[in-house]
Amino acid sequence: MNVLGELALWIALPVSLWGMVLGFAGGRKQRGDLTLSAERSVYAVFFLTIIASLGVVDAFLNDRFEYWYVANYSSRNLATYFKVSGLWAGQRGSLLFWLLLLSLFATIAVWSNRRKNREFMPYVAGTLLTITSFFLVVLLFADVNPFETLGFTPADGAGLNPQLQNYWMTIHPPTLYLGFTAFTIPFAFAVAALLNGRLDSRWIVLTRKWTLLSWFFLANGIIFGMRWAYEELGWGGYWFWDPVENASLLPWLTATAFLHSIQIQENRGMLKVWNMGLVILTFLLTIFATFLTRSGLIESVHTFAQELKIAFIFLGFMASILMAGLVLVLYRLPKLKSENQIESFVSREAAFVFNNLILLGATFAVMWGTLLPLISEGFTGQEITVGPPFFNRVNLPIGLALLALMGIGPVIAWRRASKKNLKKNFLWPLVVGVVTAAGLWAAGARHGMALLTFGISAFVMAIIVVEFWKGTRARARIEGEGVVKAFYHLVARNRRRWGGYIVHVGVVFVFTAFAAAPWYGEFLQTLEPGETMTAESPLGHTYEMTYEGISTNIRDPDKNLQWQATALVSVRRDGEPLGTFTTEKRRYIRPEAQIVTEVGIKSFPMEDLYIILADADLDRILQGDAGGQAVTFNVLVKPLIAWIWAGGLIITLGSLISMWPSAGAVRAPTAARGRGTTGAEPLPAGD
Amino acid sequence: MALLGALLLVAAVVLFILLPVARGQHASLTREDDEMTEAEARRRVTLLALRDVEYDYHTGKLDEADYMALRKELSAEALAALRAFEGEEGATDVDIEAEIAAVKAGLAAGTTCGACGHRNPDGSRFCAACGQALAAREATPSS
Amino acid sequence: MKQNGRFMVGLVGVAAVVTYLVWTGVSDTMVYYLTPSELIAKIDEDPTFREVGVKVSGRLVVDSHEQTPGSLEHHFVVHDLEDESVTFPVVYRRPLPDTFTDSPEMVVDVVLEGRFNDAGVFEAQTVLTKCGSRYEATPEELRT
Repeated sequence: MNVLGELALWIALPVSLWGMVLGFAGGRKQRGDLTLSAERSVYAVFFLTIIASLGVVDAFLNDRFEYWYVANYSSRNLATYFKVSGLWAGQRGSLLFWLLLLSLFATIAVWSNRRKNREFMPYVAGTLLTITSFFLVVLLFADVNPFETLGFTPADGAGLNPQLQNYWMTIHPPTLYLGFTAFTIPFAFAVAALLNGRLDSRWIVLTRKWTLLSWFFLANGIIFGMRWAYEELGWGGYWFWDPVENASLLPWLTATAFLHSIQIQENRGMLKVWNMGLVILTFLLTIFATFLTRSGLIESVHTFAQELKIAFIFLGFMASILMAGLVLVLYRLPKLKSENQIESFVSREAAFVFNNLILLGATFAVMWGTLLPLISEGFTGQEITVGPPFFNRVNLPIGLALLALMGIGPVIAWRRASKKNLKKNFLWPLVVGVVTAAGLWAAGARHGMALLTFGISAFVMAIIVVEFWKGTRARARIEGEGVVKAFYHLVARNRRRWGGYIVHVGVVFVFTAFAAAPWYGEFLQTLEPGETMTAESPLGHTYEMTYEGISTNIRDPDKNLQWQATALVSVRRDGEPLGTFTTEKRRYIRPEAQIVTEVGIKSFPMEDLYIILADADLDRILQGDAGGQAVTFNVLVKPLIAWIWAGGLIITLGSLISMWPSAGAVRAPTAARGRGTTGAEPLPAGD
Repeated sequence: MALLGALLLVAAVVLFILLPVARGQHASLTREDDEMTEAEARRRVTLLALRDVEYDYHTGKLDEADYMALRKELSAEALAALRAFEGEEGATDVDIEAEIAAVKAGLAAGTTCGACGHRNPDGSRFCAACGQALAAREATPSS
Repeated sequence: MKQNGRFMVGLVGVAAVVTYLVWTGVSDTMVYYLTPSELIAKIDEDPTFREVGVKVSGRLVVDSHEQTPGSLEHHFVVHDLEDESVTFPVVYRRPLPDTFTDSPEMVVDVVLEGRFNDAGVFEAQTVLTKCGSRYEATPEELRT
């Protein structure tokens, strides 16, 4: 199985290259047989990549430690569940995993278009296979082959990094990778449209759903990553502005910009070059993110590898894509002319243009901050870094502007909005926003930026609620429907718009949660068993933590534990017992290097209590020395953390509504049409 | 054994991807009949734009004068696209058909006042200009 | 055309604001990232550099870590990655990360942020360890 897996990779490369050449040739010469062969190559690459991936999984499950990759990321006593996730635990596996997901999406895209949009398909297949070829070359020639052997068989593997042994960590990278790879399809269609010159609105219809899908996975992947950091890294943070985190944020920002500006092109035939640019940029950023995650270009707690060879291969690839994209856009410039002009400053188009500029501004700021160490070193020889203070400072005003636009946009009509009614439409939401901020100020919240965020959030929420209400009312009146039915039809008939607004609600929740950061409280105290410490929350609750003692569990091979020291803490909130919480330090048998802290978290709708076993005299505790049981706890009280996760769920819900195939897409297989469901593209769900 | 498996794999893959070329298999590289035509795309875009204009007007985002102008412009486009599209046979799309019906009814239905000739917005029961009751209009079935 | 003109003003405005934010953000929050040798050379050259907050990467000197009993005050010594003779003492008054272990078998690379105090001890505000999630062993290590 393992040998077959490696062989599959070696077969996949020539197949992929063959298909790449034939795809472009088939398009150029308009030869159906060549195109078919290219499309079949896509399927074949997918099939071979499955075999290769199964080979890696099989090696993990059977403890084949003669493989370098398995020896480094697994051990005999690792849970089966984590052995499977070994496929994406390290650089080598995750590059293969990337290829697997990419070829999966490529197969779906080619298969679903086997009888339609044929004039795009040779180039789509060619582009997709160019990218799979690139990853195959990396896997086989850049010293990252997951099937590389050590030349001997160690008795056991080094084990999986304990911080990666977490539920969120098993689903966070795959979700992010799904988002990165899904965006390859819009890119392939964009390249195809540029090559065949069919730059009417059709390629947009073809790519929009894929962009949404990619956006959906990226958003979820980012939030899962935050969840992992929060639960596992043990310092109570969820976002560190780490280069790898930033890298996953960048394509999400540009994809968000694209999802908005594409609507201008659809409705008004404008911004065609801009949209093309956004597709190419987003795709480049997905590659950049993969590259940054899996190479050591910029130091980061997540970055695994240090190989320079792979860095040059990736940079070369990205530069070629950029050049090819530029050349193609320049070549097609005459066909990318705008059909209209923006008629009014106060119009939906204008709001979207500003949204795009601000999102790109954020992209630029994050990118600049991430790459500054490299840039400064390159130009001045002096490495300069910026940390969270820079990113927070720059992105706060940018984020607030975006938040405000989320409130302004929906109220402004396409083309030329009513200036007369603007005041009327904004009045009550503005009142809601101001009253919210004033109320919070009166309640003792004295942080200007945070109050501004809360006020704007309330304003946006009010706008969206009013929007739903007005829409329902208008529909009920026009169609003579009851309110519930009208509401359902309103959303169902224009999923893209209303799903989008629901996503905005989720974003408002997340932003509101971020704005609570000034009230995060930290209480650090050393306690003897039986002693109690208190923590005051900004919402007026008092938490009392009593250190009940510490228990140890030494040498438990079934759990892969060398030892474990668990501190018991009973917690009372305002005098009411909340139960007993544990926070512990443990050391695994494999890998044995590192001590890990597990924290105790109690989550309420309005705040989280986060208990960390910060410091302990582990030598004495593990010897059972009754005199050495004093430990230091770090207790964090963090308001509104649960709102981040709630906002994430709302974003998921909204994007699912937006993506849901509309009823019109499922056509009855009528005899007249002959072809049944292979007919037209799904109808757009909205504006 | 492993060698045999490997050879079989290579042979199968090569055969699979080479067959279309070897047989000179035909595959269309042009737009198929049942795909969305430009007329259909245009129809769809104008209908959706019209729907948005209606919606924006009803929720007070468009001034009446702009609404009338945009509506007139888009209605003409939509009707032209509809006629062109009706020439093409076989639209069985449930959702869009309902929308078309709604828009057509709205265009044809008497929202124009019988007494003074003022054009009232959809759903009006009384004329905004003279207060005359408008002809009872059946609510358009939407599904 | 009038609309376009106003638009250009808006666009340029947004671009200018973002540029301004990034520019001032960098100049106000930037931190030099140095090796211990570079840091000491800079201080020799310009003693006021002692006051500047910097980020330094170095390697923990084995057996140098001491914790003042009953407190969270940690003292340790860091040496340059390339030149082991260049060292400086560090004090840190918060719980250390779990990956910070002072043992002869472990190489611990640290990234410190902070500045020197008057006593010539580096007062670290943050201590990060660099082994982090990297667990790739050499074949020799796997033999055991």
